[in-house]
Amino acid sequence: MEYISMITGFLLVLLGLWGVLTQKNIIKIIIGFSIFDTGLHIVLVSIAYLRGGTAPVIDKAVKVTEAIEKVVDPVPHALVLTAIVIGLGVTALMLVYALKLYQNKKTLEVQSFNDLKW
Amino acid sequence: MISPIHIITLTLGTAFFIGLLKKLNLNISALLMLVAIAAAGTISASWFTAILSGAANAEVFTAGFNPPYSINLLMGKGEALITLLINLAGFLGGVYLLKSLKERGIYTMIIYLVFIMSLNVIVMTRDIFNLFVFMEVASIGIAGLVILDKSSKATQAGFKYLIATGVIAGILLIGIAFTYYFAGTLNIDVIQQASIINFKAGSIAVFLVIISIILELKPFPANGWGIDVYEGANPGIGAMISAASASAMLFVLYKLAVLVPESFLQIITAIGILTFVGSNLMGIKQSNANRLLGYSSIGQIGLLTAIVGLKPFLGAQFELIAVSILISHFFAKAGLFWLSGIVKKQNLKDWAMLRQKPYLLVLFGIFIFALIGFPPFPSFLGKWELIMKLAHSHHFYILAFILIGSFLEGIYLFRWLGFSIKMEDANLPPLTVHWNKIIPVVLSALGVLGSGIYFGTITEIAASLKYIPLLFIALLYVIDFLPVYVKNTVSIAGIGYYLYTIYPDLEGFKLIFGLIFLAGGMLTLVAGYFKTGTRKGFYPLVMLMFAGLVGLIEAHTTFEFFFAWELMTAGSYFLIIRGKKSMTHALSYMLFSLAGAYLILAGFGLAHIGQSSYALDILASVQSFAPLVFILLAIGFMTKTASVGLHIWLPGAHAEAETDVSPMVSAILLKAGVFGLILLMLNMGSQFIGSFNIYYALAWIGAITAVMGNMMAAFQEDAKRLLAYSSVGFLGYILFGLSFMSHLGWLAAVSLSVVHFMFKTLLFLAIGGIVYRVKTKEMYKMGGLIKKMPFTFISVLMGIIVIAGVPPLTGFGGKWILYNAVLEKGWFFPSALVFFAGIVAFLYCFRLIHTVFLGQLKDEHREVKEAPFWLLLPQYMILMVIMLFSALPNSLLKPIGAMLAPIFPEGALEWQGQLAKSGFGYWNGQVIMYIVGGIFVVVFAWLWYMNRNAQKVKQFNIGYSAERPSLPETTHFAYNFFAPYKKALGFLVSPLITNFWDSASEGVHAISDKVRRIYNGNVQTYAFHILAFIVVVYLIIF
Amino acid sequence: MVRNSFRLIILVGLLVIFSTLVWSFNGNNELNSLAQFYTQQENIEAVNAANLVSAVVVTYRGFDTLGEVTILFLTASIIGFFLKKKLSDTQRKEVRESSDILVTASKILVPVMILFGVYVIINGHLTPGGGFQGGAIIASAMVLALLANPHMKFNHQLFNVLESISGVSFVLMGIAGIVYAGGFLDNRILPGGEVGTLISAGAIPLIYIFIGLKVGSELSNIVGNLQVTQNEQ
Repeated sequence: MEYISMITGFLLVLLGLWGVLTQKNIIKIIIGFSIFDTGLHIVLVSIAYLRGGTAPVIDKAVKVTEAIEKVVDPVPHALVLTAIVIGLGVTALMLVYALKLYQNKKTLEVQSFNDLKW
Repeated sequence: MISPIHIITLTLGTAFFIGLLKKLNLNISALLMLVAIAAAGTISASWFTAILSGAANAEVFTAGFNPPYSINLLMGKGEALITLLINLAGFLGGVYLLKSLKERGIYTMIIYLVFIMSLNVIVMTRDIFNLFVFMEVASIGIAGLVILDKSSKATQAGFKYLIATGVIAGILLIGIAFTYYFAGTLNIDVIQQASIINFKAGSIAVFLVIISIILELKPFPANGWGIDVYEGANPGIGAMISAASASAMLFVLYKLAVLVPESFLQIITAIGILTFVGSNLMGIKQSNANRLLGYSSIGQIGLLTAIVGLKPFLGAQFELIAVSILISHFFAKAGLFWLSGIVKKQNLKDWAMLRQKPYLLVLFGIFIFALIGFPPFPSFLGKWELIMKLAHSHHFYILAFILIGSFLEGIYLFRWLGFSIKMEDANLPPLTVHWNKIIPVVLSALGVLGSGIYFGTITEIAASLKYIPLLFIALLYVIDFLPVYVKNTVSIAGIGYYLYTIYPDLEGFKLIFGLIFLAGGMLTLVAGYFKTGTRKGFYPLVMLMFAGLVGLIEAHTTFEFFFAWELMTAGSYFLIIRGKKSMTHALSYMLFSLAGAYLILAGFGLAHIGQSSYALDILASVQSFAPLVFILLAIGFMTKTASVGLHIWLPGAHAEAETDVSPMVSAILLKAGVFGLILLMLNMGSQFIGSFNIYYALAWIGAITAVMGNMMAAFQEDAKRLLAYSSVGFLGYILFGLSFMSHLGWLAAVSLSVVHFMFKTLLFLAIGGIVYRVKTKEMYKMGGLIKKMPFTFISVLMGIIVIAGVPPLTGFGGKWILYNAVLEKGWFFPSALVFFAGIVAFLYCFRLIHTVFLGQLKDEHREVKEAPFWLLLPQYMILMVIMLFSALPNSLLKPIGAMLAPIFPEGALEWQGQLAKSGFGYWNGQVIMYIVGGIFVVVFAWLWYMNRNAQKVKQFNIGYSAERPSLPETTHFAYNFFAPYKKALGFLVSPLITNFWDSASEGVHAISDKVRRIYNGNVQTYAFHILAFIVVVYLIIF
Repeated sequence: MVRNSFRLIILVGLLVIFSTLVWSFNGNNELNSLAQFYTQQENIEAVNAANLVSAVVVTYRGFDTLGEVTILFLTASIIGFFLKKKLSDTQRKEVRESSDILVTASKILVPVMILFGVYVIINGHLTPGGGFQGGAIIASAMVLALLANPHMKFNHQLFNVLESISGVSFVLMGIAGIVYAGGFLDNRILPGGEVGTLISAGAIPLIYIFIGLKVGSELSNIVGNLQVTQNEQ
């Protein structure tokens, strides 16, 4: 059980990388990156897994006193929140770059942007 | 003290706050931005000074909980220094970018400020996830700053950067996640104790973290995206990435290196070295300034990465090595990028524009020399210590690769410097400079100079260095606006005074070479009076060379010796490049010198193994690899004596130099190599590889050098080139004599050194005077000058009599001793060559006197005057000394013999008055002088008597046959003067060696071009490189 | 394709690396010491946030959150100047009017969404949610409003002021933590209250409000900037 989400996460990571490496359209590359990023988040969250644990929120189900036994690790959740926001920022920026690249050359083919080399 | 957290609150708060000012005033926002960075820098600086003077490190606990439960920051010595550098770069860079930032609006200032803030956090944080967050802030900040320029290239570079850093950050995140899983914490200090590297999965997690940090440092070959950013971005941003961002990331690597086992550290070292060599190799073929700076930056960062990996072996010197190299890189690279923004031209050749503002050229030179590691810049000290430590810890391959990488870097940096000093700049636009762009450049130059001197004062081995000569040089810069005669007088007086103060301490070889260097220097400087105007920049450079030369004499330790050697190289390089058409010659001089210096450095390094002191005489007790040490040092010194194979820089450099510089670089500078060889041989004595005597090889090299040099001289059309090649040949004799390791051999070599100084100064000044008057160096364009320039004729005549080694002048004495030495030693095969070389010398001597002074006077030289008085004066001063030594040979030879007696007690000459006796015969210089003088008078009188009735023929009283040659000057008798000999022996001088070096150079360029093709500009290729890099390194480690 | 096979080989290499990690992962039977510290009764009561993730996000790792906010701020700024173009209304391309269904629905939904966003923000310390999530919901409301009315003009000035003020306030709250409590971003500058009630968890709700305002206005700004650029095509 504990492996399912993590394996899914890693598969998404590899799938996303495959997209980044092979797609010719910049938007598709960015989508690939986004999948890669999502995979990372899933991997990160699955680290928190605790057998039989519940959400790290104190409410009727979890008393303050028993939190230590019942809840899953809150740290990866906090980390993944940060990671998601970062991923959002990076993806937004990539899309804006794509927009600018398109405005410059009226194409989204990645091979047309090799002006800098060697 | 203000808490370090306020570095962040101040900068970030200001960034948020100036968002409010959007519509208000750009100037106020810009001011606030600079004030915030300056305040942050002040906090860093105050902590740095406090910690240096003994205060405790500052720890910042956020959220009111102790670590590891909350994120904490640390402000230690390293953090304080690096944040200080970052904020300094941030401030200067902000001033530099002021215009661009204001043009593109308030958002750019916010981005800039946040970027600087994030670098500070990266350095200080002790939490790896926090590190990740602020690394992302920095990456996004760079992605935003890259597009400060609206060009399409900048956008492309930014996009590649985003994708690449996005992938790297993803890998880092996986590493962090599993590090957390295994270690149960994100705090670096606690992870270190958790010892998760003891099992495979745990070490893979740490591996992923470390490899991501390394990838952020742009290791070869997974760094195409980084180089593209350097090329595409505004140079002001390039400066920030190269100086500030890279420093921060390096510190992160240093910080995290505690987590990894030693085997990782070796990989880090290997990656660093590979990057250093690889990117410098690719730089060679590069013609775009910003991209070249990118390659150089990445190379330097690679070197520093390697140093982090080598930390366990560098011991207490680690800090000094890392910081000194980092600081040199920091200031120099920031300064160069900023200069690039001022020049605005991307082609390296267009940097000739810098000449429009000479002070920019000086700044450029400072940065280049700081990067290569010349004294007095900090990297000099760092490189020295690094090489010594590497040798000590037996890292010979790393040592070799570092020197190779540095050499490759030297190739393109000095070529670039050469372009800026010498390239034609006819069609270049005028250079405009704004105050805000130039101030940061000036400050970084001062920074690198100041830190160099500071490091010199705090380091033990450098404490004994003398800075007085350097101060004198600085003084000459200050008075550079004065006319030549004032500065010339000041320089001569300066050297004279210095000689006076050190004279009592000089003895033996030091006395002889000290006199050649200093008294010789004064003498050649006298010729400088013939120049008019101010001769800008000349005197400080001359003094730099002499400061180096005298430093060699005064050196007590290998470090001082090397310091002086490098000063001399720097000074002489600039003197040589001042000549006409000397761009390529100066470059090849510099490259041979650089290679030589690195061999010397490696030799000293090996010599130090197992020794505690740095004194020069440790060479006498080398523990291991003694023959190798000897060979390295000998080849190093032979680059300066221009022995065969290493001589190709010399002819061009000496021939193209200015009239009074030629004697300095030919008659004086070459002796530095001789002095080095003497020191080496004195200390190390005989050296054998197996049973093969290395000195026998040296004898052959000397003999071949003599023959080749003289042959080449004989076939030159250019008079100064002829003299230059003759120096090559003569230095061959000296090496030959030294290789005998006997009294007579050394007596010959040392006396020939003195003699060579005298006649080469004489001839170069004489020929220089002629060239000055007739405006050509080609001998067949001269002729018949005897009547126009009789005084010069006499000096040349005397000079060639000395070279040819015929009686009665002093050259004969040297030869006589040399031949005696040969008979005694019995190395007849090389000796036969040397005899043959002596015969060849007659040929070029004859050519020199005949084609220049005899024959028909050219029509255009009808009005030629005698050489200027100031050129003649030193010639006649030398002539007097030559006559003295010739008439009274024991005045020169006896003291040298006495000096050699304790070293080589056997086989000394016996003196009876002026009569010298060896085991094979005797020679009385005085008597010979009388006899030859007598013969001369008799023959001269007879000739005069016979010719009294001869008919005088006017020059044009001749008839041509009907033919009219197509290229009249080639029919001149002096053209291809020794055609028959050339036909017979020309194959010996076919430019085999030049061809060899040419094809070596072409080969390196071709490899460079091949390697850099991996950067095809495609972001997917770059992403592939990154992933492949991870997998390959993984496979190597696990 | 040779190229693709190289790529495949490298990805297989990565797969090998990752599989070692997955293989070594076997879930947790108990929390590690760090998580235990966060879930101990005394520490829960010290921070007083019922949502332990919020306690970690805003207090223990509040410094990360500051960085996170900064990233959004940075992104918004970069997009702001990257897409900056002054253009008059006459240059704008005609945009197809939105459908009636969208317009009508948005009129109902937008206020509700904003309200929901606010709810998520102020309950961030009690239930899953918080400033980022709520801010994102508010920004989604803006996107919907924009889709319904493509000619809508954003009041960028207002958003900018909101963004800056909340950013500065966040930093000031952090500094207040140094002055009045245990350190930078310590939430105990305000009274803790009782775990699980609305007014509790010290400064966490306040910080979340600032974050929510900031995130909402930043994302809205980004959307607004993209709208301007798109219209100009």
